[in-house]
Amino acid sequence: MSHIRESELTAYLVEDQARFYRLAYSYLHNREEALDAVQTAVCKALEKQDGLRDAGAIRTWFTRILVNVCMDQLRQRKRVTLVPPEALDTGSYEDPLPEDGSLARRVDALPPEVASIVKLRFYEDLSLKEISQIVDCPLSTVKTRLYTGLKKLRIAVEGEV
Amino acid sequence: MNEFKEARENYDATPIPEELDQRVQAGIRQGRKNHRGRYVRRTLGTAAACFVVVLGALNLSPAVAAAAADIPVLGGLFQVLTVRDFTDADSDRTVEVEQPAVTGSDYADAVSARIQEKVDEKIAEGEQLIADYKEAYFATGGTEEGWAQHDNKVTVTYDIKSQTDTTVSFVVSSAVSIANAYQEQTYYNLDLAAGRELTLQDLLGADWVNICNAAIRAQMAAAEDPTVYFDESAGGFATVDEATSFYINESGNPVVVFPPYTVAIGALGTVEFEIV
Repeated sequence: MSHIRESELTAYLVEDQARFYRLAYSYLHNREEALDAVQTAVCKALEKQDGLRDAGAIRTWFTRILVNVCMDQLRQRKRVTLVPPEALDTGSYEDPLPEDGSLARRVDALPPEVASIVKLRFYEDLSLKEISQIVDCPLSTVKTRLYTGLKKLRIAVEGEV
Repeated sequence: MNEFKEARENYDATPIPEELDQRVQAGIRQGRKNHRGRYVRRTLGTAAACFVVVLGALNLSPAVAAAAADIPVLGGLFQVLTVRDFTDADSDRTVEVEQPAVTGSDYADAVSARIQEKVDEKIAEGEQLIADYKEAYFATGGTEEGWAQHDNKVTVTYDIKSQTDTTVSFVVSSAVSIANAYQEQTYYNLDLAAGRELTLQDLLGADWVNICNAAIRAQMAAAEDPTVYFDESAGGFATVDEATSFYINESGNPVVVFPPYTVAIGALGTVEFEIV
């Protein structure tokens, strides 16, 4: 365990920014909101840098901050819907989405807590243990949600995921 | 699992906006500033606590007093001390106050009364802002749960910049955590022997306006990136005047201070120029 220096933290944040954006975008599906989420999470990471005790855990630690920011944003969106989504000119704001019925679409249609775990597991290649730290849930809950998700996606699970 | 391969490829192909890097840099700047701000405040608090201990010891033993004679803050007849230091927290907000006072003469007492008034005003203002914010938060559909996550704070602290036997320069800062715009700094440069406030003219002579302007322009031009300073035509720096804030540093030089956004981009925060 080594305490992380601010320079190491900022280097990591700059280095992996594309990954953060992709993850945020997969939650929010909106360019501006995803950019905002990344900026907010980066800002929070710097503010809370003293809370990161183990430099080796930086990825899990930051992903947790980012996922929380995205989930907060989704929750807030539920409260304030100013413009119905179909009224928006999706062409200019949204980057192209996979066509209907694709797996990516179906993943997004899952309840957010479930979709989150599926994405972290299969898009970000995180282990179930890391995911349980990120979403702050017991390992058993993570497993249950993952299998619920896969079942809904009608995907056969071959062996241990 | 092959289906996931495709979804994954799709995911990896998410277009990355050009401004992402700028936004990450902005987040880093912002977060770093907040982190450092907290650190400085904590150190100041500790320093102030040390002074309290030292003052207590001085009253007890002449030996300690002699040993402490070269502590700058205690020079001469006059003293700057913390008269109020408290934290008051409830479910809506936290008020943290560390209020200074000057002692040693009638004039010092008058200044202390002025500080007291100012601090009280800032606390009341901060509490009002938070109350208004709370009302607006719930009026727009905020939940109790969401409100509980807010950590609203009103802070008043001070920092002694320099002190001699007869003069003292310090700043009282107040802030409301809702937004940076509520940060305010009041500088006090006192000649306690003469019983009056020091001006830039006292320090620099009759030609003080030209001396300051020349020094500030030179420092702006010498900056690593001079474009961070606003042009005069765009509302940037024009000239110093009687209302310009300053403090006196340890070397006895005046340091002219401009609040964020007045002469330079906001990212620079408060901008200072030492006039040598």
